[in-house]
Amino acid sequence: MQGFCSPREHMSRRLLLKGLTFAGVGAAAGPVMNWGNLVDAPAFAAQAKKKSKQCILLWMNGGASQFETFDMKVGRPTGGPNREIKTNLPGYHVCELLPKMAQQMDKVTVIRSMHTSEIDHPGGIHLMHTGYSKSATVRFPEIGAIVAKYNGSEDANLPQFIKISSNGDSGSGFLGPRYAPFSMGHDGNLPTFAARSIDVKVDDRRQELRDFLEENYAKRHAAETSRQHREANAAALRLQQARDVFKVDDEWKKNKELYGDSLFGKQCMLARRLIESGVPFVEVGQSGYDTHADNFTGHKGLLPPMDHAWAGLLTDLQQRGLLDNTLVIWMGEIGRTPSINNRDGRDHYVKAWTTVLAGAGVKRGLIYGETDADGIDVKSNPVTEGDYFATIYSALGINYADENYAGVRPIPLAPFKSKVVKEILA
Amino acid sequence: MRFDRGNTSFVLVAALLLQWAVALPAIAADSPLRQIIDEQVRAAWQKQKIQPATPSEDGEFLRRIYLDLTGVIPTYEQARAFLDDASADKRSKLIDQLLGDPLYARHQADVWDQILVGRNPPEDRVRKREGFQRFLREQFEKNTPYDKLVGQLLRAEGNTVDDGAPVYLVQFERKAEDAIESVTQTFLGVQLQCARCHDHPYEPWTQVDFYGMAAFLTRLELVTVGKDGQQSKLAMGEKNSGELNFTPAKQQLPGKKGMPIAPKFLAATQPVGEPELPKDFKEAKFPENQPPVKPQFSRREKLIEWIVARDNPYFARAAVNRIWAQFMGRGFIHPVDDMKKSDKPSHPALLDAMAMQFAAHDFDMKWLIREIVSSQAYQLSGTGSVKDAAPLWYERARVRPLSAEEMLESWRIATGYDDAIAKTGKDKDAAKNRFHGVGWDYVVRFFGSSVTGEGDFQGGLQEHLYLNNGELGRLITSEKGGLIDAIAQSQDTMEAKIDRLFVSLLSRLPREEERTKFAEYLAGDEKKNERLKEAIWAMMTCSEFRFNH
Repeated sequence: MQGFCSPREHMSRRLLLKGLTFAGVGAAAGPVMNWGNLVDAPAFAAQAKKKSKQCILLWMNGGASQFETFDMKVGRPTGGPNREIKTNLPGYHVCELLPKMAQQMDKVTVIRSMHTSEIDHPGGIHLMHTGYSKSATVRFPEIGAIVAKYNGSEDANLPQFIKISSNGDSGSGFLGPRYAPFSMGHDGNLPTFAARSIDVKVDDRRQELRDFLEENYAKRHAAETSRQHREANAAALRLQQARDVFKVDDEWKKNKELYGDSLFGKQCMLARRLIESGVPFVEVGQSGYDTHADNFTGHKGLLPPMDHAWAGLLTDLQQRGLLDNTLVIWMGEIGRTPSINNRDGRDHYVKAWTTVLAGAGVKRGLIYGETDADGIDVKSNPVTEGDYFATIYSALGINYADENYAGVRPIPLAPFKSKVVKEILA
Repeated sequence: MRFDRGNTSFVLVAALLLQWAVALPAIAADSPLRQIIDEQVRAAWQKQKIQPATPSEDGEFLRRIYLDLTGVIPTYEQARAFLDDASADKRSKLIDQLLGDPLYARHQADVWDQILVGRNPPEDRVRKREGFQRFLREQFEKNTPYDKLVGQLLRAEGNTVDDGAPVYLVQFERKAEDAIESVTQTFLGVQLQCARCHDHPYEPWTQVDFYGMAAFLTRLELVTVGKDGQQSKLAMGEKNSGELNFTPAKQQLPGKKGMPIAPKFLAATQPVGEPELPKDFKEAKFPENQPPVKPQFSRREKLIEWIVARDNPYFARAAVNRIWAQFMGRGFIHPVDDMKKSDKPSHPALLDAMAMQFAAHDFDMKWLIREIVSSQAYQLSGTGSVKDAAPLWYERARVRPLSAEEMLESWRIATGYDDAIAKTGKDKDAAKNRFHGVGWDYVVRFFGSSVTGEGDFQGGLQEHLYLNNGELGRLITSEKGGLIDAIAQSQDTMEAKIDRLFVSLLSRLPREEERTKFAEYLAGDEKKNERLKEAIWAMMTCSEFRFNH
């Protein structure tokens, strides 16, 4: 860690805090994290209890099949060839491809009655990242940007909305660049331009010359814009201090077994490290679920490593005392058809499908909603996208009816008239 | 005031106030608009007991007017010529010169492309829209009157690739409700979207107003008329028949179908009459790959006539309010596209006079812009203690972030990149792409939208990662013809070299403390020109460069 910090960075942080206090927003900036103890897990866990809730989104890109996961229809024409296995919830069975998660069902809420309105990928990805359908006139922010805004901290060293190998292109929408996602590559590398490109000494002295220009300018121009410009640069410099959190190789050696030796597992462990370091929202993606052909082979390849990683993540969060404060969402943009097509595939389906929540704010060991015998329609307790987002925001301690402005137009976090599914909340 | 020159500015301001402290005459309809602007803005200062900023210094005005009219900073030579010019009318000469510059048309086209379509439209079919951008540029080159321009956008003749104009309506496909929301908001300053689902809670608009307006566009149909490589050529035809169905919110029941609604202008009591179709009329489909035939009776044409009519109570007001805000930071009613009846304009008489004169000048945009930027209000200094980026009473110049286009092109001008590299053919992209030198995708990603949903600047961490660790080094070239070469090769004194640095990057001469600081900095050079490059970097990335002020 020492290698990354230059004296200037410490100074700029102090200056920043001073600047914030001067501007009178210091009190609203939230708790200042103890960055000296990045790896001191218990200390962080203790601090986490007092903090705003955090969130990890496990994004199943393409749309995982509910029939091959949590809403089995064994023996029915729509059921497919997979067998079901017992879970640690009496009477509830899941797909044999999820042996690890079968032992974690006492930690989660399964929603088998998702009923949403966008059936193709771009529309679905937008819908399930924002709660809204695409619009020609409004750019909606993703859930990650909203959590960053409501549960994030102004002066954190790390970006407040981090995406690891994930999808969704709405970003922060009308919330603006402060809440834009910090997107890491699928190899877990930091995004382009995050690493310092020149010698620390040289960077320090040119930044100091720039500070001179900034101060001169600020003396003459009192407009807020210049202060914001300087603060954003301070945040960019602080990131250099916190970069060690992205270096997972050493810890990965110890955790390979817990998460399973897969890329997705490694990414899930990084997500946990980021949560531990105070990042309010992390999204991790796994791609390949759009199984219009060979649905069963496809899921057979995709699910086991995902199962291992997800179960490892829940276990790890629990052991570190982070699960009570962290909501883990498992979902994709769509579900898959009950009918099996002539290429042994399942197509897109949004009338009845499944998502899973675990951790902060939601019940443990709840199977919510039900589909009919063949999984064609929701039989009880349908959950629309609006209700789903209202529920998630509530679980995260965020008022889902709160409004932000797209121009002059007030836009509530969850669409107007959405209702919280109270039965799900803990 | 905390500034060094505080006393002088106070005296100056006091003198100005004395000079202006005369009773405001009633607006004479034929006074030059710039005069009316200053009288009205001044009157508001007096009423609000506000002390305005001093007039801008030459360098300040120079950079501001270049960016506002042409979207780029001046070159070193252009800046030097202006700063050294001692003539009294040099500002008005420069304004005329820039209004005639081809870059004026290009910059206004950039501005309107963002207003009409935006940076990242959700629909693929309008993401690539060179035809539209070319169309806009041509209109600003010809100084097409604003009413004619709006007419062309809505008439949407030709196709999206060869003619461009249809892109505006094509982005809404055949969703008349989306299209009318944008049309009323953009061209009339009226936001109807609340009335889409329920009668507007605070404004007079009802659902009948919304759907009555949408009915004018409900017969539009997207037609593919050809291909240009991978890109479809799209046209926006209009059918002879087709109705918009609507049910008032309170009568909506599951399964109940709406009733057709007749087209009706905003606030009109009666719908627009239209000829009845023959009983046995059957709508023919628009054939593929052919320009759509115009209908016998066009609802769209009726809507255009009404929108751009001189006596339309919204059109000219919305236009001047928006264009004024482009240069002054905020509209008399702000945000500019929400001119609610309940909102009182900050300068009501000025808004009225401006709208009236704009119509009387046949919606001549160049005339309007010339009047605005020639006013003393526009030419005030950007210094002072008001924290607002765009002060309510225009007591100092507004501060706005540069757009992605403005950033990249101004960087290249400042460093002399185009002369040193682009023109020599060393950058193969330069001939093909206006946005070359560094990756345009990155510039758009990091500088493309630097405001929140409410239009306020917002700093982003990623913007600074790019500035600190990104590709700017490629623009800071040592090649012959560039800024570094010019400074390194010259026999000038250090002082003159630093002057050149400041004029090239910030369009002004350095102040004394800046000369000292930069001389010290540059003296420490160990490797050749290393510190000169660092100094250029610092100036390219500082607030003074990032904003127009």
